[in-house]
Amino acid sequence: MTAPRGPQPFPGQEKRLRLLAFVRQDSVVRVDKRVEDTAMVWPHLLVIEFIAAMIWSLGLFVISALFNAPLQDHSTVDCTPNPSKAPWYLLNLQELLLHMDKGLAGVVVPTVWLVFMAAIPYIDRDRSGIGHWFTNEIGRRVTIFSTIFTGVIVSGLIAFDAVIKQKYPAIGWPGYAEFASQYFPGGRELIPNYVIPIFLMLALPFVLVQLVKRLFGGGTREWMIAIFTGFVVTYVVLTVVGTSLRGPGMDLYAPWSLPETHQCFAPRP
Amino acid sequence: MLDIPLQVWERVKAGVLWKSLFRHGYPDSRKNQSLAVFTNVFLHLHPVKVRRHALAIPYTWCMGGLSFFLFLVLTLTGTLLMFYYRPTTEWAYSDIKDLETVVIFGQLLRNMHRWAAHGMVITVFLHMIRVFYTGSYKPPREFNWVVGTLLFFFTILLSYTGYLLPWDQLALWAVTVGYEIARATPAVGDEVSFLLFGGYQLGPNALLRFYVLHVVALPLATGFLIAIHFWRIRKDGGISGPL
Repeated sequence: MTAPRGPQPFPGQEKRLRLLAFVRQDSVVRVDKRVEDTAMVWPHLLVIEFIAAMIWSLGLFVISALFNAPLQDHSTVDCTPNPSKAPWYLLNLQELLLHMDKGLAGVVVPTVWLVFMAAIPYIDRDRSGIGHWFTNEIGRRVTIFSTIFTGVIVSGLIAFDAVIKQKYPAIGWPGYAEFASQYFPGGRELIPNYVIPIFLMLALPFVLVQLVKRLFGGGTREWMIAIFTGFVVTYVVLTVVGTSLRGPGMDLYAPWSLPETHQCFAPRP
Repeated sequence: MLDIPLQVWERVKAGVLWKSLFRHGYPDSRKNQSLAVFTNVFLHLHPVKVRRHALAIPYTWCMGGLSFFLFLVLTLTGTLLMFYYRPTTEWAYSDIKDLETVVIFGQLLRNMHRWAAHGMVITVFLHMIRVFYTGSYKPPREFNWVVGTLLFFFTILLSYTGYLLPWDQLALWAVTVGYEIARATPAVGDEVSFLLFGGYQLGPNALLRFYVLHVVALPLATGFLIAIHFWRIRKDGGISGPL
């Protein structure tokens, strides 16, 4: 009797091992690339990329020729501009700093948000709707609803905060900070800086999701659209407020009456 | 008259040098178009064919590609700026002044770097929005979405670290806001701010650290993530589209 072909097992280890495994369809990438649905990269895609790169190069060149990058006077710690503003893409965080604890606004909220953003595809696993803007008509309506909901709420909260922080002696209102110091447990720290902001940041998305479920009968994708849209709108509203509406003391001003930033030195024309 | 240049051109194309550079004919046939893509080190990021919806600008907005384009512009202009800039509190500001007044096209170079940096924040943000609303983060592209989220974060960090380098009032006080935020990190605020800024106030150490982060560490990390991002696009089946 001849020995079977292939590597021989060691004595005492004759157990056979399967080298093939059954792979579920979900775990492999199936690319549905029908011939009639495809185009050659050269020239079809490369032409688009080339034109886009040329237009943007030209646009960047023109903008750079027309507008100089800002450069103020030499830095000095002896002169604090009023207001001191972060770069525009971080002004949303600076706006949050005005309404809650610094660590909460600047570290905890963005960290939690980044982790949530990264987790989105692990929560919304349904593959239907890939490649369609807003998935379907319901998704588009949810986006519009969430934009209005978030825009009104966030703008309203900023305006409300600006109103109640003022003193109104005529009605005996000492200003929010003073009122909190006198009447809130924990003074002006615990409830205004932690409890209220955390409550609002949890409650408002919860309300939004519930509304989307009730009004639109939405599933995971729909409430994810609502939350993501809420984030985008909040990001934009806070950035616009921080850029265009905050003046000296980080107080609110109308864009047309925004005072010049106080400088120790004359700003460059 | 045209015969001579045409003959020269034909001889160049038949020469050893040309054939060592290009191993295919002019890409006017399917075969040569394919070869032009996958034998070119830059173009081989692409597949030979793509689905037609990947060409539709209303679908892609071109924002991913334009973000990468701006990253390349920033790398190029940033490298040129490094020739004229010293990251010390004595020289940083005057080097920027010299760049604007002494160096030929220095102002234009600085402007391009600045506006491209702002542009990249916008394009990356818009790309993220496009990917979300078209559901392109869904399986099998989950991990690439995570990489994209990190790239958005790194883009902000790159822009922020560059903001301090001119060492003018705008830079110092804008970055001070971030410094105050870092100090407010729960439990480890002082340690985090000391690590990032090299001290308990913004000074020479902060400038040097931001410079090194801006020109070495963060671009390398971003480039690494971009490579993974592109590679995963190919491995996950190309640009998303209707199933």
